[in-house]
Amino acid sequence: MNNGTWSLATRLLAREWRAGELRVLVMALIIAVLVSTAISFFTDRLQRGMVSRAAEFLGADMVISSRAPLPEAFLQRAMEDGLSHVDVVEFNSMMSGDVEIQLSSVKAVGPGYPLKGQVRVADQMFGTERVVNAIPPPGEVWIEPRLAAQLALETGDTLDVGMASMSVSAMLTYEPDRAGDFYSLTPRVLMNLADLEETAVVQPGSRVRYRLLLSGAEGALQGYANWLRPQLEDNQQLTTVADDNQQIGSALDRAAQFLGLASIAAVVLAGVAVALSASRFATRHFDTSALLRCLGASRRRVMSIFLIQLACLGLVATVIGLALGWVMQWGLVLLLRDLLPPDLPGVGLKPLLVGGATGLIALAGFALPPLIRLGKVAPLRVLRRDLAPLPSSGWLIYGLALGGLSLLMWQFTGNLRITLAVVFGGAIAALLLGLVAWALLRLSGNRLRNAGLAWRLGSGQLLKQPIAAAGQILAFGLILMSMVVVLILRTELLDTWQQQLPEDTPNHFALNIMPAEQAEFTAALERIGAVSAPLYPVTPGRLTEINSRPVRELVTKESQGERAVSRDLSLTWSATMATDNTLLAGEWWPDTLPDDESLISIESGLADSLGVEVGDVLSFVIAGQVLDARVLNIREVNWDNFTPNFYIIFSPGSLENMPATLLTSFSLPTEKRAELRDLARAFPAMTLLEVEALLKQIRDILAQVTLAVEYVMVFVLLAGFTVLFAALQSTLDNRLYEGALLRTLGARKALLRQANRLEFALLGSLAGIMAIVAAELITWLLYRFALNLDWSPHYLLWVLVPVTGAVLIGVAGALGTRAVVRESPMRLINRGS
Amino acid sequence: MSDSVIVARHLSKVVRSQEATLTILDDVSLAIAKASSVAIVGASGSGKSTLLSLLAGLDLPSSGEVHLAGRNLSDLDEDQRAELRAEHVGFVFQSFQLLDSLTALENVMLPLELHGRHDARQRAADLLQRVGLGARLTHYPRQLSGGEQQRVAIARAFASEPDILFADEPTGNLDAVTGQHITDLLFDLNREQHTTLVMVTHDQRLAERCQSALQLEAGRLLEPTQ
Repeated sequence: MNNGTWSLATRLLAREWRAGELRVLVMALIIAVLVSTAISFFTDRLQRGMVSRAAEFLGADMVISSRAPLPEAFLQRAMEDGLSHVDVVEFNSMMSGDVEIQLSSVKAVGPGYPLKGQVRVADQMFGTERVVNAIPPPGEVWIEPRLAAQLALETGDTLDVGMASMSVSAMLTYEPDRAGDFYSLTPRVLMNLADLEETAVVQPGSRVRYRLLLSGAEGALQGYANWLRPQLEDNQQLTTVADDNQQIGSALDRAAQFLGLASIAAVVLAGVAVALSASRFATRHFDTSALLRCLGASRRRVMSIFLIQLACLGLVATVIGLALGWVMQWGLVLLLRDLLPPDLPGVGLKPLLVGGATGLIALAGFALPPLIRLGKVAPLRVLRRDLAPLPSSGWLIYGLALGGLSLLMWQFTGNLRITLAVVFGGAIAALLLGLVAWALLRLSGNRLRNAGLAWRLGSGQLLKQPIAAAGQILAFGLILMSMVVVLILRTELLDTWQQQLPEDTPNHFALNIMPAEQAEFTAALERIGAVSAPLYPVTPGRLTEINSRPVRELVTKESQGERAVSRDLSLTWSATMATDNTLLAGEWWPDTLPDDESLISIESGLADSLGVEVGDVLSFVIAGQVLDARVLNIREVNWDNFTPNFYIIFSPGSLENMPATLLTSFSLPTEKRAELRDLARAFPAMTLLEVEALLKQIRDILAQVTLAVEYVMVFVLLAGFTVLFAALQSTLDNRLYEGALLRTLGARKALLRQANRLEFALLGSLAGIMAIVAAELITWLLYRFALNLDWSPHYLLWVLVPVTGAVLIGVAGALGTRAVVRESPMRLINRGS
Repeated sequence: MSDSVIVARHLSKVVRSQEATLTILDDVSLAIAKASSVAIVGASGSGKSTLLSLLAGLDLPSSGEVHLAGRNLSDLDEDQRAELRAEHVGFVFQSFQLLDSLTALENVMLPLELHGRHDARQRAADLLQRVGLGARLTHYPRQLSGGEQQRVAIARAFASEPDILFADEPTGNLDAVTGQHITDLLFDLNREQHTTLVMVTHDQRLAERCQSALQLEAGRLLEPTQ
């Protein structure tokens, strides 16, 4: 390629730009890059923001914990890596009041705790809570209200922690990092780490948990985790945001998946936009190509000229798109600033790369086949205008483009299954429906032969070139499909979240209710207007053996199993299975229970972690007695819904002689909180656990994510509309020409308007049918293989989408072809010929 | 025939469709001398434009051969033929074939730029001046009348100083008066530049201005009239 070709190509390009020939192509490209960049930017920041929000539940970005003091090297390295850190020591200790004693969980924290989230306290029991940005000063403790109730303490009283005597200076209502552990039975005490030595509680051999909370920049954290993992010993654990908290985790996962899918929709839109406008670019340059060949330019030179032009356009449009995408995501962030996490991470570079790659892959993949066609224009076309080059067989290039875009989608979603579901679902649907559209058009050709003139004129365009029409239907269909898939997924996502935490989600847990008080307690709950889950008997027990092998030998470190065997499990028995549990293997209790053995039902996650299957025999130590039980079934448990759930459920009667207390959760409106004081007094042995704060925090996060999801959806829809109009533009040339021709033959404006409307409505409804069929196929694949949701047909959309398609494209098409009835036919004909 | 710039021997062009085989040109042989002007005349469908396209190397014959500027076109591939055209050939078309997105000046500059000539702008401006459009350099084709557009096309055709100019019905889209002006211009420039002019026309008066005429009838060449 010589310099002459470069400068000729750019000069020609500049002249065409001035003449306004290139606007549609450049607009389409800019939209393609803009949409993928903006969504990529926004989702990237949002996802990182949501992760940081989720970090509140850990009190840090990551936590190292151990039963022994952590090696100095861990802290040293964290400081070198510039990470913020706080030491925490946790232990159980008996607290004594004047009359009662109570086992409590004490947390001694260093300055700076918590690294993420905030501690909230109240000045008196069940008083108004406030945020504190400090830890208890030395010599003071903050205690949970229920401990105060049990020990009859008020603020200002003194509490002995081990050997130290401390002043109770506030009621502890919320600490961010206890959220994941609200089944813990013991009330909590927060103290200053500086006082720990004075308590003399921590002695060699005492059960203490040392935790190092860490926080810092993403890269530094990642580097630190990579450094740390290989060095962790069996008794040391690393917990990151991703490992923690099931309620938040699943919501965030789904949101991330949605945002990823929204990005895919944007990529599809980009591809369609580029393919259509490049095809228009090529068609409009057949004459130029023929003339250049006629004037003596070689085929290679002509191709080079157009390739250089397209590359220049691609580059310019990509740069503009990237810049606009960057500006747009700032707009998004500004608009949503009240709802986004306050410490939203900054802009990363990755979205720029992704946006740029989208533009260039879309350009190379979808613009090359039409361009190759441009290179095949015969010079003879200067004499015979009807000589159009044969459509190039661009299968290889389209295949490569699809592959490239799939890689991009994979990058967006980070999930191969989702990507494959969308790519294969979309490709199969597009192929089948393209064929169906073509066949339908061929068939309706005969039917419409005797229809009215407007119908014949309107359908004529589509029927005359069924392949081209099928291509247009496919393009519009893909645009609508992208929008419909995003719409369906968003609705599903919000429903799932809504179901997860309905209005009456329990916001309190009541533990340690004596079996003798059951009736009285139930009545008391009813009296204060609380909505209660069933009461479950609970007896603490430790799992010791599986099929006569010590369980310690069977579990791996950092696993759920390890956590389960390292502490007492809350064991229960029940005749029926909770409605939100699902049986995965085995069967529920038989009608007649065996007298000589105990049966158990085990939660699936724990069963996996322990390698337990139906038929295995598990040994427990309960109140000093060993009890063997056979696994009869494995259950899946919904941990998200704040009702009592159990890893192990025994068959009724198995634990008959074991000491047990009752446990339940209930929902009580916030304004009735004062009633809890009476409840606590009426049942002094009972432990009351408030999860209102946790619930509110989860609700807040879901509300934020919901809004972000809505916003991204609106953004995709707007992008869809824009691409739709740009796409429509690319199909107008021939229609304007023929319309003008009809006017010269005496066709009235009304007839032309009607014919245009009919044509585009027909195009729109066919595209709508295609879109909904493809969307259903894709969502089915997604639900079935990637999202694990139940799928059912969206009947309403079967009507709505084709109708919307018809109206939308009908109106847009009518607007686009207004020139037919407005401008002078002669001008249109001159322009068209 | 040593001073012939175009020689055709036993040219035939046959088009096969599903229904039938159509012979557009049938065993045409001719020779056109350097710096002469030749009209190819005949009724519509007699094969005039096809003959022109074969002589100019825009299309290939079914049988027979064409020698253009001393080269056998059948021996050349498409790109070599393009190169030959770039060096020796200019065109004027019935439908002008100007590029809408380029101004009059830029349209004329195009072949010069393809040749990589640095004086493209000046030479194009001079030529437009010569065809009487000195004041319309920056106008787009749609802002010009048919006659003006054809003048731009003529200026473009002569821009690269071709040895041979092929004109396909150059006045076909123009009224009589304008057509007359265009014809005068074409012949004047032809004379000035010593170009060989091959013109397809069914305008008898235009044909008469050429030194010789080749009469086509149903694809066959009748005896030369002059």
